[in-house]
Amino acid sequence: MKLQESGSWRDIWRRFRRSAIAMIALVYVVVVAFIALFAPLIANTKPLIMRTASGLQFPSAGDFFGEKEGIEQLPQGDVVLRAPIPHSPNEVDVAHRLNAPEHEHHFGTDDLGRDVLARLVHGARVSLTVALLAAVIALLVGSFFGAIAGFYGGWVDWVVSRLIEIVLCFPFLFLVLGIVALFRPSVYTIVIALGVTTWTDAARYVRGEIMRIRELDFAQAARASGARDARIIFRHLLPNAMAPALVSANFSVATAILTESALSFLGIGVPLPAPTWGGILSVAELHIEYAWWLALYPGIAIFTTVAAFNVVGDRFREALDPRG
Amino acid sequence: MSAYLARRLAYAVLTFFGITIVTFTLIHSVPGDPVTFYIGKSGTHGVPPAVIQAIRHEYHLDESLVAQYGWWLRGIFTLDFGPSVIDHRPAMDRILEKLPNTFALNFIAFAFAALAGIPIGLWSASRSGHLFERGSSVVFFLLYSLPSFWVALLLMQFFAVRHAWLPLFGMTSDDYLLMTTAGRIADRIKHMVLPSLALTYAQLAFYARFTKSALTEVIHQDFITTARAKGVSGPAVLWRHAFRNALLPLVTLLGLTIPYLLSGSVIIETMFQWDGVGNLYLQSLLSRDYPTVLALTVVTAVVTLFASVLSDVLYAIADPRVRVEGKR
Repeated sequence: MKLQESGSWRDIWRRFRRSAIAMIALVYVVVVAFIALFAPLIANTKPLIMRTASGLQFPSAGDFFGEKEGIEQLPQGDVVLRAPIPHSPNEVDVAHRLNAPEHEHHFGTDDLGRDVLARLVHGARVSLTVALLAAVIALLVGSFFGAIAGFYGGWVDWVVSRLIEIVLCFPFLFLVLGIVALFRPSVYTIVIALGVTTWTDAARYVRGEIMRIRELDFAQAARASGARDARIIFRHLLPNAMAPALVSANFSVATAILTESALSFLGIGVPLPAPTWGGILSVAELHIEYAWWLALYPGIAIFTTVAAFNVVGDRFREALDPRG
Repeated sequence: MSAYLARRLAYAVLTFFGITIVTFTLIHSVPGDPVTFYIGKSGTHGVPPAVIQAIRHEYHLDESLVAQYGWWLRGIFTLDFGPSVIDHRPAMDRILEKLPNTFALNFIAFAFAALAGIPIGLWSASRSGHLFERGSSVVFFLLYSLPSFWVALLLMQFFAVRHAWLPLFGMTSDDYLLMTTAGRIADRIKHMVLPSLALTYAQLAFYARFTKSALTEVIHQDFITTARAKGVSGPAVLWRHAFRNALLPLVTLLGLTIPYLLSGSVIIETMFQWDGVGNLYLQSLLSRDYPTVLALTVVTAVVTLFASVLSDVLYAIADPRVRVEGKR
């Protein structure tokens, strides 16, 4: 009777809020998400605001939905406001290859003279996009299988359990690498590969929760009023089983960020020249003798982001089940 | 017991066929002609039609899907996955000769992690709630979030590049053949330190957490409350009543760990140029050597399945309740 005792979302939030570490992690997640969302306005060679003959213009806002190919003509006029980091992630500067951190490049430059900080900011975009999409797929697939297994029990449950067992038999990275490499590396193949390999956790959480609540009064009431199975499962039961599934979604995001960076590090990730945290680390490995800044900052970015999602998931789980 | 054993083995056989179906589906869902699978190229451009026809016939691609699956099963049972695209030796031979290297590295990592992680987990569960314990559990939780390749990179940078205390990569030094026996052993150990360290730390955090939750679960059970109510002292309850029961789920660790260790091996072996199956897998993927890729996928999945059956059976022997409840 976990949810009955622990009550509503408000109670969960009240318990979650009590943990200082949880709140720090949550704020950090929000900050990283903010950076990812507004990356083109944070790190961009093009100015934020320009005053031209025809009024104010916002050149960097055009990159919001993907950078354009080729060289772009900037409008003629005065720069009113530059981006906080005045470098684009793919702005090559061979004269300043592998520069240590200094005033112009706070986190140094990579082997093509690209600004590491700008690549980190835009890398957050790639990492979070992949991770969130993968978590959504895992959540959808896992909720579906978990819900029907928990609701029907019997042979349906048995089949789903065997399916989970089969997926878990493949060493995770073997399967993900295999799928991504066979279908050509891209954001989509990585998202799908991660989604189809990590849904098992969500399925197990949802299955347990549905089994627990399927005989409760509100479910009986829905059944008594003649609702069809699909309606009972997806309208009545699943929304009430979502909390534990969201815990697992937090962990899937963390796993997906780690795995995406590992894939990019191994060279089977998001294709170049897209800036990725793992990609910067693979350059760092080539220049391990002196380019410490290439190894340090992306690693910290991956570690802190993954840790933040893990901590939020863990404390969220504790807030759901105060006795555990 | 025999009923449980029979059921578990029957499930394992089903899962095995599931593995063969998943891998078979994987081959046939790849875009393009499956022939490209076996010629090690991305397309059939520039390959004479006669050659393609011969390959099609050799790999039974000209037969029905059911027949092809039959050939695939036969290949798995006879451990014959066809010749490697790289050197035309049987893919299975190449795997078998690299397996001991992977085993050596993973065994050390497993032993270190278990020897350190389990006591830490027991300790932190026994002091659950204390300020110091809460701090240490946060640290262990954070360890879990460290990317292994970053840790490996930092280890290489510090121990091999800056201080030259340990070799950067490889399994032996260049002058290995000129060394004495003692020198060779020392050389091999030196080469093992960094990769096994990089494999260990994440496992360590995992074992500590696993052990802690196992013991915590036991502490919350009625018989512990009963023992306390009867006046058994705190430490005696822990040592005599709780620990023994908490150690039971640990036999399942082996089954849980093997897939994680193998996954970690891909990254760590590649970085340290360790001549094991993880490294082989990535190199085979990059060179489109699909017979080796498929052989390794099947072999690692079957090894994992075997380990999980073994640990389930061990668990059932150690804890009779499992057999009755039919857990899993």
